[in-house]
Amino acid sequence: MSEFFHQYFDFHIMGAHFSEVLEGFLKNLLLFAVVVVLALFWGLVLALIRQLPAGRKLIPLRGVTIAYIDVFRAIPLLIIILLISGGIPFLNFLPKDIRIPQWFGQPDPFWYGVLALTLVYGAYMAEVYRAGIEAVQGGQMEAARSLGMSHSQAMRHVIVPQAVTKIPAPMLNEMISLLKDTTLVSVVAYGESVLVGREVLAETFNSSAVMLAGLMFLVITLPAARLVDKLIARNQGKITRGAHIEVA
Amino acid sequence: MAEAMVRLEGVHKRFGDLEVLKGVDLHVAKGEVVCILGPSGSGKSTLLRCVNLLEPPEQGEIFLEGHDICKGPGSGTGESSWELDFVRQRVGMVFQQFNLFPHKTVLENVTLAPRQVLGKPRAEAESKAKALLERVGLGDKFQQYPERLSGGQQQRVAIARALAMEPRVMLFDEVTSALDPELVKEVLDTMRELAAEGMTMLVVTHEMGFAKEVGDQVVFMDGGVIVEQGKPADVLDHPREERTQKFLGRVLER
Repeated sequence: MSEFFHQYFDFHIMGAHFSEVLEGFLKNLLLFAVVVVLALFWGLVLALIRQLPAGRKLIPLRGVTIAYIDVFRAIPLLIIILLISGGIPFLNFLPKDIRIPQWFGQPDPFWYGVLALTLVYGAYMAEVYRAGIEAVQGGQMEAARSLGMSHSQAMRHVIVPQAVTKIPAPMLNEMISLLKDTTLVSVVAYGESVLVGREVLAETFNSSAVMLAGLMFLVITLPAARLVDKLIARNQGKITRGAHIEVA
Repeated sequence: MAEAMVRLEGVHKRFGDLEVLKGVDLHVAKGEVVCILGPSGSGKSTLLRCVNLLEPPEQGEIFLEGHDICKGPGSGTGESSWELDFVRQRVGMVFQQFNLFPHKTVLENVTLAPRQVLGKPRAEAESKAKALLERVGLGDKFQQYPERLSGGQQQRVAIARALAMEPRVMLFDEVTSALDPELVKEVLDTMRELAAEGMTMLVVTHEMGFAKEVGDQVVFMDGGVIVEQGKPADVLDHPREERTQKFLGRVLER
């Protein structure tokens, strides 16, 4: 049993590498922070295109968007990361700043991770937005249209403001997944917490530093998961009472 | 005869295999109140929704102030038609389920479309909205959210919201059917006043008293066609058609 504790919970190793692992974890958080903003935006764009009325000239755009959302949710994220980081640097028709981006002092693996995670999580979040949009009562769009508002005016002022109040719980779930999935970018040598932990593992044959990284995630994700439960419970309370979701 | 405010000629509408309107002709003069009766599924709501192109008809013509709204580049699809702006800014609609915007205050509900669609400045839209809300008896509810209002109050807000776009024609789709009985009168009173002011109105309703008192014409629909139409006293008290007699018999039994 002590061997088990030594392998996973060696406080000596945890203490010795704490600041490195924490620094790595902050890189996870930075990657998360950038991607969450981009993916929330990209997902909304995708969802809005998907919800365009079935007018003739826009059908290809809708079809492409639906295909995009399906494909990017169906391919393992790791493969997307590998395809981007392993391919883009060699696409010589692209300018060097895009092939090997070093913007804002961040290394190129960071930006490959941003791109891969945004592409994939944009697709996931588009589905969450869609659920929210479809949960808005159909009469709302009709009322807005009957007042002379265009489809996009109705979306902007009537549908989307109501849709986003219906989806905080599933959206937060996506964010928890996103935070955890930032560790996958370690495979392309982004120096985040898991990569730091693996380096320690390779030196010492001890998993405590990797465990430490896992514990750091728990500190964020466990309270977030509880918050999701609370949001769901609150929402259900409102539904059973038959009230609108308060937006005031 | 002067050009009708609304004129329908041979309007057909189908949903998949179901033909809901099978050739409807209707003539509504300016300032006229037309009450449309009929059993559920008779196509009366669909007829209203054709008039503001929420459900564009597949066949037939609809004229609004003499202007054929079913012609034009996108005719038949509804969404890409250049007639939509023309129609929706001239035709107001009130729904059975109110459909107020729950995330906006009463005042914002009424000012949203004038500001976004007509580009009115905030102050102008608000003063107009306040005047309309006072007219429907809700001068003390500007800052309330819809869920705090009774059904009757919500429906009056919906009427004010439609009037804020200064429509020439108002469509009422069973607007009292979702209301508690004691709240029906306040909504009907608002509609009476509107009719007295000369608004052209198409009213789908089960309120026989209202149809008789306010209606200039009563139209009885069944099975996607107009079965009988005429003066309220004629159609309601001395129906000629058997289907009308049966329907009225059932309704008046209650």
